[in-house]
Amino acid sequence: MDRSFYLDLAAAGLRMPIGTHLVLHEHADHGEIVLDGNRLGDVVAETADRFNTPLAVPLMDLKLEKEALLNSYGIPEADIESFHFEEPPAADPAFNLTPRMRATCDAISQVAKKPGLVPMGMGIGPFSLMTKLVSDPITPVFLAGTGLTAEDEPEVALIERAIEVGTKIILDYFTAQIDAGAQAMIVCEPAANLVYFSPNQLENSFEIFDRYVTGPMRRVKALLDARGVDLVFHDCGELTDSMVERFASLDAAMISFGCSRQLWEDAALVPKSTVLYGNLPTKNFLSSQLTVTEVERLAKNLLENMRATGHPFILGSECDVLSVPGSEREILAKVDAFMNLSR
Amino acid sequence: MSTLSELSKAVETGKRNDAKQLTQALLEQGLKPLEVVEQGLVPGMSAIGEKFKNNEVFVPEMLIAARAMKECMAILEPLLADAGIKPKYTAVIGTVQGDLHDIGKNLVAMMLKGANFGIVDLGTNVPPEKFVDSAREHGARLVCLSALLTTTMPAMKTTVQAVRDAGLSSVKIMVGGAPVTQDFCNEIGADGYSQDAASAVDLALQLAEAC
Repeated sequence: MDRSFYLDLAAAGLRMPIGTHLVLHEHADHGEIVLDGNRLGDVVAETADRFNTPLAVPLMDLKLEKEALLNSYGIPEADIESFHFEEPPAADPAFNLTPRMRATCDAISQVAKKPGLVPMGMGIGPFSLMTKLVSDPITPVFLAGTGLTAEDEPEVALIERAIEVGTKIILDYFTAQIDAGAQAMIVCEPAANLVYFSPNQLENSFEIFDRYVTGPMRRVKALLDARGVDLVFHDCGELTDSMVERFASLDAAMISFGCSRQLWEDAALVPKSTVLYGNLPTKNFLSSQLTVTEVERLAKNLLENMRATGHPFILGSECDVLSVPGSEREILAKVDAFMNLSR
Repeated sequence: MSTLSELSKAVETGKRNDAKQLTQALLEQGLKPLEVVEQGLVPGMSAIGEKFKNNEVFVPEMLIAARAMKECMAILEPLLADAGIKPKYTAVIGTVQGDLHDIGKNLVAMMLKGANFGIVDLGTNVPPEKFVDSAREHGARLVCLSALLTTTMPAMKTTVQAVRDAGLSSVKIMVGGAPVTQDFCNEIGADGYSQDAASAVDLALQLAEAC
């Protein structure tokens, strides 16, 4: 889409949470809906309508790609969540849509039928998927940063192969979502952060970050560009300025960061052609200690600071706003607080 | 001749092969296994922990150090067991039900082990009754709960309640994880919250000694 679409939304003062999980869980049979593409699409549209946005954000579920990948290696369903590779998988994975993936694609097609909505796809980024595939993803990344190669260290070989097979699944799944009608793709890389990459190591060289994060993301971006689909990049992890600059270089239509970032400072690191989105501390919305008044204050402060930068900005959540049983009203009250804050 | 301070440094800098060789050499020189732990490994982990608290090093450096220590402990643990030496306190640790994240939990477990706690690691997705049963079985002084997801924080509350309901009056409960705060800790009635793995050791010692 024309980049001005997002810039115009920002200029018009759009604000919205990533709220599909919240709305989905208002439906008693949400467990069935996630497997029914038409109904899931209706919920995505309902969410967009509720929060008065044309951006039809899918349900964030970053477990889907791991499931599809492990299905292709014949890992039993019951073991998938806790499974980790101990050796690099030899064969390339064969991609087949899982039932949840099929429903997500069908939901995108359903949204695409509704006028005024931008059907969006979503998925995990290559590095974050890798962190789900091995039991200790941090140590080999660090070892690779010391100069050890896949030939020297089996753990490095393992993560490099995991990124390779993971990227293949991701590209296949994104292609399926684009085929279903997605016009923008939200790519979530929450693990690309300073828990997994030591800033001390990156001070000497960003090679390791580029090899494992930015490089695979460029492959994703190339696919999106080839299909005319916009990138919405999301990373709610704790980041350094240099990491932000790396992500800014991806030329995303929108970038969404977690609440550890001061977006008005990031505005200087991100081109004005990229809308910044976020980043109220929605992960803490369930705590009664974070009051509605405080959320209003934070939102007002964020809006004022972003206005001062002149950077295109959409006020929203730091990640998807999860519905927590028993705390639904507490969370919604705070979402309403920033949505209804006087302009 | 190898020295305990060389071992500490090897652990602190995560040089696992050096650390293993030094451990072996120190034992051959006649040092007792407990001396190697308390005067070699523990100071190394404490040093890296201090740097972590001061933001001088980050999780990867901590993990590398923890790995070096773990490999030394694999040499020392059978010898400690043969000598009838047991850790002063035992901590049961796990990620609460519904949550499969374990990086933070593993780090805390290693740090506590480095401070000479006996560790019973229940893994991830642990139901409340398993924490209770394990604390009872091992005579634990501490139960440590980890959660990374907002959606699993209520399971922390349920687990705290289960431990209280079980009447384990000498057990203290500490909580941690990205979305967890001191306020939440107070709200659910846990005994302590720690913001990071290094601070968790100080808190654990404080709570264990207060029992």
